[in-house]
Amino acid sequence: MAMVDLVLLAFIGLIAAMGLKRPFVWILLYIYVDLVIPQKVGWGIIQMFPLSLMMFALAFGGWLVLDSKEGSRFTFRQGLIVALLGLCAFTTFRAEFQDSAWEKWDWVWKSLLFAAFLPLTMRTRLRIEAVALFMVLSIGAICISGGMKTVFGGGGYGTLRLLVVENSGIYESSIISIAAIAIIPIAVWLARFGTVFRPHWTVAAFVAALSFACLLMPVGTNARTGLVCAAVLAAMMLRTVKNRFLYAGIAGVALVMAVPFLPQSYLERMSTIFDHKEDESASTRIAVWGWTLDYVKEHPMGGGFDAYRANSFTYQMPQVTGSGNSRSVTYVEVTDEGRAYHSSYFEMLGEQGWLGLGLWLLLHGIGLLQMELVRRRFRPAKGEKLGWQGGLAEALQQAHVVFMIGALFVGIAFQPFGFLIVGMEIAFGSYLKRQAEEQRQGPSRRWATSHAALSH
Amino acid sequence: MIDYFAIALTHGLMALAAWRLLARPDLDDDSLASEEKAKPKPWLAARDDNPGDGHG
Repeated sequence: MAMVDLVLLAFIGLIAAMGLKRPFVWILLYIYVDLVIPQKVGWGIIQMFPLSLMMFALAFGGWLVLDSKEGSRFTFRQGLIVALLGLCAFTTFRAEFQDSAWEKWDWVWKSLLFAAFLPLTMRTRLRIEAVALFMVLSIGAICISGGMKTVFGGGGYGTLRLLVVENSGIYESSIISIAAIAIIPIAVWLARFGTVFRPHWTVAAFVAALSFACLLMPVGTNARTGLVCAAVLAAMMLRTVKNRFLYAGIAGVALVMAVPFLPQSYLERMSTIFDHKEDESASTRIAVWGWTLDYVKEHPMGGGFDAYRANSFTYQMPQVTGSGNSRSVTYVEVTDEGRAYHSSYFEMLGEQGWLGLGLWLLLHGIGLLQMELVRRRFRPAKGEKLGWQGGLAEALQQAHVVFMIGALFVGIAFQPFGFLIVGMEIAFGSYLKRQAEEQRQGPSRRWATSHAALSH
Repeated sequence: MIDYFAIALTHGLMALAAWRLLARPDLDDDSLASEEKAKPKPWLAARDDNPGDGHG
C-alpha cells in the first residue's frame, strides 16, 4: 500500500510544481484534495501531512501574491456565504454541545471560506472548464472504482469499499451516490464543449463509461437517495433532449433490462421507498424532522452544530419472529438517542436556526434561478446549435437540482461538493455579466473579436 | 487492483489536463483565447496529430 502513497504524493508534487508556472493550478489541486481526501486513501507517510491545510495555504497564497485580480469581483452570493460563516461562528460559541460543535466548525469554516474565495479566481472560461474537469475526474476516481466493483460483485449499504476503508465524508454511501449522479451532466458538457480535451470519440467513450459507473453507484451502495437523484436527473434531461419520445423509450427499456441484474438486497431496500413502516431508517427520519420543528420553536436561532444530539425517541418497532404458522409479529419498544438530521434542510434549521436556513436557501435559490435565466438567454434558435454557455447553465442547474434533492434525505448542507457547484455558478454568472458589459462598451476592444471567435 | 486502475486513469488524466493548461495563455486572460482557433489550419487538415485534439 505504500505504493499508493508514493503515487499520490508524486501526483500532488507534480501538480504543485506545475503551479509554479500557473498558480491557478494550485486551486485545482486544492479542489482535488478537498474531494478525494488522498490522505485517507494512502496508509502511511501521506497521513503525516496536514495536506488539506497546506493546499489551502498554497491556493490562497498563490492567488493573493501571484495572480492577477483583473475581472475578479465580490458578488452578493459570496456575501451570503460570508454571512453564513459569521452566523456559524456565532452559533458555535453558544452551541449546546461544545466539543462536537467545534469539531464540525473545524472543517466547515474551511469549506465556507473556500466557497466564498473560489469565484474570485475563476475569471476565464478556461478556468471554469478546468474546475469542472477536476471535479468530474476527482469524483470519477471514486466512481470508477465503485462502479467496477459493483459490476464484479460486492457492495451493499456502507460496505462497498471505495478507495478508503471508512464510510465517511464524501465516501459515505448516500453522499457519494448523490455526487456521482450530479457530475453526469457536467461530464457530458465537458465531452461536448471541452477545450482541454476536445470533442473526440475517445472523450465521448470515456464520458459514457464514466456516466455508467456513476449510475452504478446507487446500486453498489444500495443508497435509496441515489436512485431518487437518478430519476430526477432523467426527468430533467427530458426537458432538453431533442427527441423526447425516443429518449423516454430507450430509458424505459434500459430500466426494464437492468432490473434482473440488480442484486436482491438492492431491490428489497428500494421497495422500502414506498413502504417505510418497518424501516427504522425512514421512520426515525420523520421523527427527527418533527423533533427539529419543535426544537426551533424554543431555539429560533438554532442549537449550533450537532444540536441533534439532544434528541431521543421511543417508539414501537414491529418485529417478526418465526416463519410459516408460527410467525408472529411483536412490537418492541426502541429508544434512539442522538439521531442525526438525515436532511440538509433540517440540519440547517436545527443547527443555524431560521436565519441560517434562510441564508442557505437564498444562496441555492438564486443559483438555480440564475442558471435558468442564462439557459433561456442562450437557448439556441431554430436550426442553431446549443452554445457552451447554454450547455453549461443547463449542466450546472441539473447538478444543482440533483444535489438539492439528495440534500432532502442526507445532511450535506456544508459538504464542499455542494459549495463547489455554487461557486462555479457564481463564477460563471459574473463571467457572463462581465462579458456583456464589455460588449456594450463597444467592439473596438481587442477581446471582443477574440470572444466572437470563441463563442461559436 | 481495481483501485489502482481507477487511480491511475483519473490521476493520469488530471496530470495531462494540468500539463495542457500550462500551455494555454487564455487560462489567465480571456482576451488571449487562442486566436489560432479561429484561423483554419489547412496544413493540419489532412493529419490528425494536432496536439490540442484531445487524445485522452
